[in-house]
Amino acid sequence: MLDISEPLFETSLEEAASVELPRRKEVWRHLKRSKVGIAGCIITGGFILTAIFGPMLPFIPNPSQQDLEARLTPPVLWGGTWEHVLGTDQLGRDLLARIIEGARVSLLVGLSAVALSAIIGVTLGLIAGYKSGLLDTVITSVADIQIAFPGVLAGLILVTAFGPGVGLVIIVIAMSGWMVFTRVTRGFVFSLKTSLFVEAGELTGAKSARIMRVHLLPNLYSSLVTLAVLEFAAAVLSESAFSFLGFGVQPPGTSWGLIIAQGRDYITNAWWIVTFAGCAIALAVLGTNLIALWLQSFGDVRGRERTLLETPGAGA
Amino acid sequence: MARWLFRRIVAGIFVLWAVSSIIFLVTNVFTDPAAVSLPLGASDEQRDQRREILGLNRPLVEQYGDFLEGLVTFDVGDSFWQERPAYDIVLERVPNTLRLVGAGMSFALIVAIPFGLLAARWEKKFPDGLSLGFSLATISAPPFWVAYLLIIVFAVNLGWVPTSGDDGFKSIILPAIALGLPSAGRLTQMLRRSTLDEMHQPYALTAESRGFSRGYTILHHSFRNTGAGFLTLSGWEITRMLTGYSVVIEVVFAWPGVGQLAFQAVEQKDLILLEASVLMLALMVVVTNILVDVLRRVIDPRVELA
Repeated sequence: MLDISEPLFETSLEEAASVELPRRKEVWRHLKRSKVGIAGCIITGGFILTAIFGPMLPFIPNPSQQDLEARLTPPVLWGGTWEHVLGTDQLGRDLLARIIEGARVSLLVGLSAVALSAIIGVTLGLIAGYKSGLLDTVITSVADIQIAFPGVLAGLILVTAFGPGVGLVIIVIAMSGWMVFTRVTRGFVFSLKTSLFVEAGELTGAKSARIMRVHLLPNLYSSLVTLAVLEFAAAVLSESAFSFLGFGVQPPGTSWGLIIAQGRDYITNAWWIVTFAGCAIALAVLGTNLIALWLQSFGDVRGRERTLLETPGAGA
Repeated sequence: MARWLFRRIVAGIFVLWAVSSIIFLVTNVFTDPAAVSLPLGASDEQRDQRREILGLNRPLVEQYGDFLEGLVTFDVGDSFWQERPAYDIVLERVPNTLRLVGAGMSFALIVAIPFGLLAARWEKKFPDGLSLGFSLATISAPPFWVAYLLIIVFAVNLGWVPTSGDDGFKSIILPAIALGLPSAGRLTQMLRRSTLDEMHQPYALTAESRGFSRGYTILHHSFRNTGAGFLTLSGWEITRMLTGYSVVIEVVFAWPGVGQLAFQAVEQKDLILLEASVLMLALMVVVTNILVDVLRRVIDPRVELA
């Protein structure tokens, strides 16, 4: 078992007290100086804009429009036409249009899975850290079990029981991500709950729900943002894996993983299907990871334990 | 040590019990296994018959008792798909998964250890930048896509290795690389980071001030101290492979392991086989975690037995 009984963060009281939310101006100044941050924002911004506005562009064909005569047309630079910039798939559908459509699914699944796991994880982490005792033990052991049983395995069981679908994928990803939020929140609350402002709140008779929400939670925002960004990257990767295995979006719908699954029979004569769809996934995840890297370079004290490449759990 | 080990094993068994109970809950309580395992057009009689075979007409508590008994006696029932004990089918696949995960992990370590140390030796110089680029690329690219790129280049175009299946040493190379790359990326950065942290410790500063080169200090002093942490994270990587990537990679390469079996069980709607293979993967995770903790204690006696 992974040992999650000890707090991930060995934050001393002084450090915790000095943790401030960076001001908006500071964030901007820091971003302008960081190449990693700029690159991450450009890539991720491009991804989000494409997902929202891409399908509305006039020159993008209908992603489900089949044209059997133009099937497996190569991309324009490899002898294709400008009509299908990235070529077409086995049914003559435009690959670029399908990839743009897939961006929507990835964005939707990524955002909702992270929102869900953050809400569950942070709530449980606050309770476990602040109340301690029996509740803490229960929550910690549930998180412990979840770590031995995450991702694809839970997905396999659920998909057999309830059938495939996007909703199921969101739930499975959220289920395998919440405990990371719980662990970090709990560790933080542990170190914060003996501080003066919490004691002051308790002395004035505030209820524990209020202390958690008003006094503890705002102190966690900055570290939770980094965590959420990392989890988003993991969620996009997981979604593509689930769709690839056929558990997510079902045809005639489209998602990046599904494009790869459908294009894999053609890798010998139509390499572009698998290659470009995978590039889309890799770019979206890379952009998000770069942002996480940049966010970590800001508050080194907070970000240390959870550096980008040491993320435990989560992900397919 | 013995008491600690005993406690860990009991905790591991508890986890396995919980996982199996969740599986039972989802498959037998929330859904009707007889309906799930039969084609959509099955008649009511066929369903009743299947219920009879599966013993679904009895009270749930009794079914649950039988389920647990089956787990303990290693007899979870027959697979519908292959019509023989599911447990036997899973056991046949275990060595293949272990071989694949072992090869993937070896690849990850062979890459990560030198790369991480070099990046720490030349901090903020070329090797460091290269290692960051490598890590970002490997953790951002989906492993199954990397697998196809490897197949396109090395199996289809160059023809050096087979595209799929399990046929001797050559056929494990590509799956091991595809499986090991993300772990290699993460472990490289972890080793770099912890080596740099160690280099700020008094003993490392002393060594350097006495004239030992930075490279010597890293290899002979700090490397040992990063060992325990590195081992823990390597264990996480194995866990990650077992519970996630191995399924996808085994499917891509038609590698006959437990992950592929679980996937096939879903396709065949073979609940019993699925339960058996998922439990087997969970068992491997629990065993890995205990082994890692023991090893950690062996290489670093300072690690407390919590």
